[in-house]
Amino acid sequence: MSKHLHRFASSRGAVVVALPFHLDEFISDWAGLRTPMRKSVPDDFSRDEWAYLMNFLSPEQLQRPFCEAFGSPATTERTIISLARPRGTVGVWFPNNVSLLGPLILILLSLTGNRLLLKGGSRSNDLAGAFLNFALQHLENGTLRDFLEHQVRYEVFEHGDPRHSRMLEESDVRIVFGSDEAAASVHSAASPLKGRGFSFVDRQSQAWIESGAASDEVLSNLIHVFAIYGQTGCTSPHRVVLLGRTKQQAIELRDRIVGLWPKVLRLKPPIHVASANTLALQWAAACGWEATVAANRAAVIGAGPIELEPIDSPLFLPISSASLDEAIEHLPANIQTLGHAFAVPSDRRWLELAATTNIKRLVPIARMHHFGPLWDGEHFWRQCFEEVDVDL
Amino acid sequence: MSALLDRPPYGPRDEAEFLREMEQVTQHHLAGCEPYRRIWKHWQSGGEVTALPFLHAGMFKRVLLVTGGSVRERVLQSSSTTGSQPSQIALDKFSSQLQSRSAVAILKDFVGEQKRPLLILDDGKSLRQPGSVSARMAAALSLSPLATSVHFLLSDANQPQSMKWDELRTAISSSNEFLIYGSTSLLWRAWGSAMMPEEIRKQLRSKRMHFVHSGGWKRLESLRVSREEFDGTLLRDLPQESRVVDYYGLVEQVGVIYPLCENGYRHVPVWADILVRDPYNLELVEDQPGQIQLMNSLAHGAPYHSVLSEDLGKITSGSCPCGRSGKRFELLGRIPMAELRGCADV
Repeated sequence: MSKHLHRFASSRGAVVVALPFHLDEFISDWAGLRTPMRKSVPDDFSRDEWAYLMNFLSPEQLQRPFCEAFGSPATTERTIISLARPRGTVGVWFPNNVSLLGPLILILLSLTGNRLLLKGGSRSNDLAGAFLNFALQHLENGTLRDFLEHQVRYEVFEHGDPRHSRMLEESDVRIVFGSDEAAASVHSAASPLKGRGFSFVDRQSQAWIESGAASDEVLSNLIHVFAIYGQTGCTSPHRVVLLGRTKQQAIELRDRIVGLWPKVLRLKPPIHVASANTLALQWAAACGWEATVAANRAAVIGAGPIELEPIDSPLFLPISSASLDEAIEHLPANIQTLGHAFAVPSDRRWLELAATTNIKRLVPIARMHHFGPLWDGEHFWRQCFEEVDVDL
Repeated sequence: MSALLDRPPYGPRDEAEFLREMEQVTQHHLAGCEPYRRIWKHWQSGGEVTALPFLHAGMFKRVLLVTGGSVRERVLQSSSTTGSQPSQIALDKFSSQLQSRSAVAILKDFVGEQKRPLLILDDGKSLRQPGSVSARMAAALSLSPLATSVHFLLSDANQPQSMKWDELRTAISSSNEFLIYGSTSLLWRAWGSAMMPEEIRKQLRSKRMHFVHSGGWKRLESLRVSREEFDGTLLRDLPQESRVVDYYGLVEQVGVIYPLCENGYRHVPVWADILVRDPYNLELVEDQPGQIQLMNSLAHGAPYHSVLSEDLGKITSGSCPCGRSGKRFELLGRIPMAELRGCADV
């Protein structure tokens, strides 16, 4: 029952958001979880992932989706122009071994007040389930704990399991992370007249660095962003494009990244990563990349022409020099995030880039992994609410 | 031709001759294999075995490497039990002859020189595939020079229960001594833990059996079968002279195998060498675990003469009580793997 009404002020008037909890209490409970989070990191998470989650749980971050969707919290009486209420039940299908996207979407969707059905990958653990367990172990009795206990169901089952059909029947909103096939299989099995579906499927991202903008800070951000998931993250840079520069300058950029790496990331990777990068170094060279390896074999950085396909190795970061036109021409069809380090970000050319290409996000390199209520071109978070036209 | 192959496998080593042969074969591959040359374009002879170029074993899963000028015979394919791409090794006639001599010389040192019937726990079907051969079949057939006859005992290599008991009954009545080869897991499932007819079991009690197996323990670990239980079960009720020989070998080092000696070590033949490297900086380590690099001077069809494996091992200094001289090492298992997280699961 959504009996807590919260007012937000937009330019046309007030929007009332009905939620089954008091939003301030709910946000305060999420933010309070950071206290036990500071004391221990569950085995499933890396320290970087855990730090990112803690940052995501700040009250300002949690308030942001409401502000973006409905306006600022209203302090004065205004004409109410609409009421937004949770659609009912949101079903989320995660892929195997899901990244930090799992817990992030759990947090974001909990704010909508919808009942949540989460299906974890059946082949391996994922971070959504691990984070939910952590929260339930450490939250004290209160609004959030009550919500997670009674309104969130996390299950792991195989494709043919009858729970899959039940989840489909119950979901008013379907959100599928995974392959094209997985998304098609979920949405095609749903009733065509019920609910709405969002597919977050296989995507690639790139980082574009303009001449003169490759500061040590930018390159350090690039290392952080790349190292966390390598090529397996849809928001990780699959390729770095050095705009307006030469092949030799791409090699120099490669060497600067390799030099910075041990200052940015000091920990040794697991042995299998080191071994895989010994392989990647040779494979890349065999394919024509001018490749070199970072300290402790934590990654392989290669320089090569933009026409050269990157090798399929998790921690291989290719750098290609290209003109802006060449870079646009070689954008992959499934481009998602374009992380930028532009000399003048306000230059009209970059807005035109967003207007004329298929990119879904154009953000600074440091923000490439930042998950939000607008994703892959879809305002999926707002769509978890049904809006009632009112004139009161 | 490798002059070292004319020597006993575990006799005194001639390091200078081994280095000369390795540098020669390295130059041959640099001249004839473009991807290999791209990887090692800056390599120059350093006058030491430790400075010789190597390829990571995973390269053979990504690229079919061939050195020009070789007469290609077949492509050897690994079984790829972990679900990844199989390794592919281009075999040439010349190398195959050397590799066959190598395998036989090493095995003779462990099972003796006398020829006897060879029982193979496989169905032999991969022999009929033109152009390629499975690593398991190649391993089995490396014993054939020691055989008076060859018997494939399974109807279907994917079904350990498909033992052709009649074929076995006939075969074991022909001799008092046998070689029997199977991959480690097949030897256990098709023979060690099989419901063997009682009259065959009785017949076997008077037969000297040399069980030879390879392929690792991964599958048996999941069945919780220890080496002691494995060996004990196979040798139960058999004459004392019967033996179990477990050898380690890479499909990328065909013909050069490393049987476990009676003291638990694996010995390096004079036409091969082993180095152990720190996985993070590739520096050499001794008496401590690291990534195993295997070398031999017999591979001419493709640059698989020096391979950095995905296995961990430890070189042990000092001499072995078994009497075999030269380098010895312990195999510690595969590098543990883990999947990197992602968001699309494609």
